[in-house]
Amino acid sequence: MVFIQSCSHSIIQLMIGNFSVLASLGYKLIKNIMQNVLSILFCLSLFYLSVTSRVKAYVTVLQFQGVLLTVLLVFPFIGHFSIYALILPATLFFVKVILIPKYIKKIILDLDIKRTIEPTIQQITFLLIIIFSMTIIFIISNVLSKSTDIETIPFASGFTAIAVGIFVIIYRKKLIVHVAGFLVLENGIFLFGTAVASELPMMIEIGVLLDVFVVVFLMGIAINKISSTLSGFDVTALGRLKD
Amino acid sequence: MELTTFVRGIISLLVVLGFAPLFAGLVNKLKAIFTGRLGAPVLQPYSDLKRLFRKETINANSSSFISVISPTINLVAVVIAAAMLPIGFERPLISFEGDIILFAYILGLARFFQILAAMDIGSSFEGMGASREAAFAVFAEPIFFFTLGSIAFISGLTSIYEIYHSIRLDNVTYIVFIIVCSISVFILAVTECSRMPVDDPKTHLELTMIHEVMILDNSGVDLFLYQYSSHIKLFIYAILETSFFYPFGIRSYTVAIVIFVVVITALSISLAIVETITSRFKMKSIPHYLLFATAIGILNLLIYTFTV
Repeated sequence: MVFIQSCSHSIIQLMIGNFSVLASLGYKLIKNIMQNVLSILFCLSLFYLSVTSRVKAYVTVLQFQGVLLTVLLVFPFIGHFSIYALILPATLFFVKVILIPKYIKKIILDLDIKRTIEPTIQQITFLLIIIFSMTIIFIISNVLSKSTDIETIPFASGFTAIAVGIFVIIYRKKLIVHVAGFLVLENGIFLFGTAVASELPMMIEIGVLLDVFVVVFLMGIAINKISSTLSGFDVTALGRLKD
Repeated sequence: MELTTFVRGIISLLVVLGFAPLFAGLVNKLKAIFTGRLGAPVLQPYSDLKRLFRKETINANSSSFISVISPTINLVAVVIAAAMLPIGFERPLISFEGDIILFAYILGLARFFQILAAMDIGSSFEGMGASREAAFAVFAEPIFFFTLGSIAFISGLTSIYEIYHSIRLDNVTYIVFIIVCSISVFILAVTECSRMPVDDPKTHLELTMIHEVMILDNSGVDLFLYQYSSHIKLFIYAILETSFFYPFGIRSYTVAIVIFVVVITALSISLAIVETITSRFKMKSIPHYLLFATAIGILNLLIYTFTV
């Protein structure tokens, strides 16, 4: 009994200690930390993207990234809450976590797309390319952060996501995976934007979201149409087309 | 070294040696519960070890002295590695500048002798298992060095005890760091102890297995030594994971014990969950999994180098 009492006492002390430490750091620093944590989770999702070989995993990663970006957008508004501030995160959540993944899943089901992603290079080479480019990007953004006012980790993570999106488009054969690559690239730009300027005008952000959805929609229609002519929807088949 | 420190180091080592089979039993029990079975009792590994200890050792006719000495060397190497781990706030029995390298290579020595003994028997099965073990060990080594090595690099210290003591939870970047580190240590533990996504510890007679096939021809006390050392190895990695979470600012035994128990239990639950929901990877995709963990380690290094 005495043991339990002393245990609980020390744990409470510990918790109070940690909270007081966090509170003393100030609101801005906490926001900074949260931004860093979320960006690092974003980087981890990019690594996962580069080793997985399932189309469904790509969709899951897109959803996960959507959740991360939503949290990233909600967090600055906890200090001064207003209902208007929640419009953008809510829209982002709706578009990136529900609408687009659902649509991609529907395309996968409708067209009976096979579950593997069909890379053109080995997965391990792909991962090495990404590690290498990430290292270079971190170094560059560190150099940049000395002369300008940017946050290194979110900036570098966003930049890496752009690079990964491009690599996914280059090194994968399936069109649906290209769509996923494009969306990763767009997520990267979003993260990049939050690192460069803390708050963009809301209309612009919502406009971008609409844009992305329209692009995905059009790509879906395009894939649908192509599939009526070419059964494989493999981009290498497009090279054989003649007019 | 003072006498009390020495005695406490001995006690820490005894904790590792005593509770190692219990941890393995706990994981197995939880795994059974998650899959809807009753499962063996938690203390089953102790009974298994006792049974093996009483059996007679038989060596293959084709084997040489390597097969005889290898199990002992294996256990001794693992125990030495266990003696280098800090449990709670205590200085471990063996602790000096640069022991992080010794720690990695003493475990490497254990693995080397196990591989050698597997090839010594002359069965093609075991040779295949040995080759796989060696191949995956190559990919697992960088994970350790990028994870613990990055903390060593940051703190400028090279002793495991001091490295862990340089972690301060009030330095907030470390919190990020610890989250990322614990993921890669988890993957390392899964690989080194041949648990589920990399190797299936249950399959004894299939061509796909890695670790279990190497001890196929061992029996009696030899098998006891191998199994006990594999239990200890799993517990060593569990402790490596646990040590990230000690708040080294507060030196209280009760907190240390509570955190130790809580993290070990959480770890066994997560191991059991991972083993329940995943199936074994294809051989060719295991390097991807391991390189993924290495990439996390590199990310760790990048984050810390360029932010602080």
